[in-house]
Amino acid sequence: MIGEKLQEHAGITESSSADYAVSGYHHVHKALASELPAVAALFFENGYYLETMTCIDERASAGDEKEKKDDAEDEQTAEDPGAFRLVYQFDKAGAPERHLITTRIASGESASSIAGVFAGADWYEREVFDLYGVLFAKHPDLRRILMPDDYIGHPLRKDFSDQDPRREEMASE
Amino acid sequence: MSDTIEIVAQDRDTYYLNMGPQHPSTHGVLRLVLHLDGERIIDADPIIGYGHRAHEKMAENRDYLQFLPNTSRIDYLSGMIYNLAYCQAIEKILAIEVPERAEYIRIIAGELNRISSHLLWLGTYLLDLGGITPFLYGFDDREKILDILDRVTGSRLTYSYGRFGGVTMDVDEVFLENTAEFIEYFEGRIPVFEELVIGNVIFQERTKGVGIFPSELIQHYALSGPSLRAMGIASDVRKDEPYSIYERFEFKVPTQQAGDCFARSLIRIEEMRQSLKIIAQALRDIPSGPVMAAKVPKRLRPPAGEYCFSVESARGRYQHFIVSDGSDVPFRHKLTTPSFVNVSTMSKVMAGNMLSDAVAILGSIDIVVPEIDR
Repeated sequence: MIGEKLQEHAGITESSSADYAVSGYHHVHKALASELPAVAALFFENGYYLETMTCIDERASAGDEKEKKDDAEDEQTAEDPGAFRLVYQFDKAGAPERHLITTRIASGESASSIAGVFAGADWYEREVFDLYGVLFAKHPDLRRILMPDDYIGHPLRKDFSDQDPRREEMASE
Repeated sequence: MSDTIEIVAQDRDTYYLNMGPQHPSTHGVLRLVLHLDGERIIDADPIIGYGHRAHEKMAENRDYLQFLPNTSRIDYLSGMIYNLAYCQAIEKILAIEVPERAEYIRIIAGELNRISSHLLWLGTYLLDLGGITPFLYGFDDREKILDILDRVTGSRLTYSYGRFGGVTMDVDEVFLENTAEFIEYFEGRIPVFEELVIGNVIFQERTKGVGIFPSELIQHYALSGPSLRAMGIASDVRKDEPYSIYERFEFKVPTQQAGDCFARSLIRIEEMRQSLKIIAQALRDIPSGPVMAAKVPKRLRPPAGEYCFSVESARGRYQHFIVSDGSDVPFRHKLTTPSFVNVSTMSKVMAGNMLSDAVAILGSIDIVVPEIDR
């Protein structure tokens, strides 16, 4: 049903089925960041809901991983090493059919907000912005949600440190 | 809030009222910026984060076992459910077998915890609405549960009873007897609550038709728990995606149609009854045997990848999203909590209601602030 539509969709670059018994996901997809609102709309039209959304900071780790597994060619590390990965989880009520959508956002790039499709994405995107510093284009109200408004830095970034001298520099600016 | 002041200047007929963060009905520190037209709410903007303790950051800085004590502190009212949920998530990823007896003990402890959470909601909700007596009744009964759990876990609220592969301590005969006694006692108490609270005309006046969730919110926000079941949808993670051994138990998922504060209250009362049913079945069937798996690896290294695990907490769907890079420290651990979802809907739910109902609505979704902020 939605599987075929997703495979035909231009925004989906890669699809595979996952081992639900272990991972909790039925399908895993990779999507283009710019096409996410369209992909989200497809899920919405087919009755799925947005279970959660978050971000993973893979900017530094991609380089480390490369050293670790030099024998196996990893696709992700071969791509752009410095990137955030946004994670969207869509599911259906009643009988679970969980889709995991991931998309890469290079450092300094902004993502497209899907708050216009799923109203619930509003707070999730604010949280990602707050904790990772990823900007969402066309978000209705992008401001910090958990940290104080005048806070400097994005705590869930892997290179974040409370003692980061840059924080003081930024504060004095 | 400089933008707020601008809007006020443009529109003289409406005003903003700041409710909280120090307000008794927010049960912790939550702030609501209410946009009002007279006494009617135009918009509500919940400001969260006052209780943010960076649990997700902490998870990334310690190994899987070291995060265990954090889990029950995320939601201190259903700490047992949260603690066991984390164990179950890790066990599922690493395929650790849990002994039968431990599974039954977990069911009993988890459902007792659910009842105690609902009892606390009942007491404090009525307190929000101005009724002091039910608070005392609710806490009296809740104390009995805390005593039962205290005996075996050593804690009253922030349990760390679960371990990967089982539970820390076996329960004794006294625990089982006390639990059986409690079931019998509490079955007789539920009608008292129904008469005292649900049947009370003031309670009905304050909750019926108040805080109705618009049905489109279900899909937009992925609602779950009592908020969803009060809208006529019999969805419960324990039934939809059975974890642990829940598929062995017979219980109903209560539903209501109205979607208002009153319906949510009825759901919670009925859920306590269903939890008693589950506990009674578990007490009947509990086998003897070990409570810890024989072989649990000391270093836990889940294979690299993304994992998702959901349980039904007292407030709805609680989800772990764990990303492993193959090491013994999670690369990312996201916690999706039902209170976060419920509070994020408030701007849509409160609009159109009266200011005096804001407290009734906020209480009816059973918020636990530390769980929103994590």
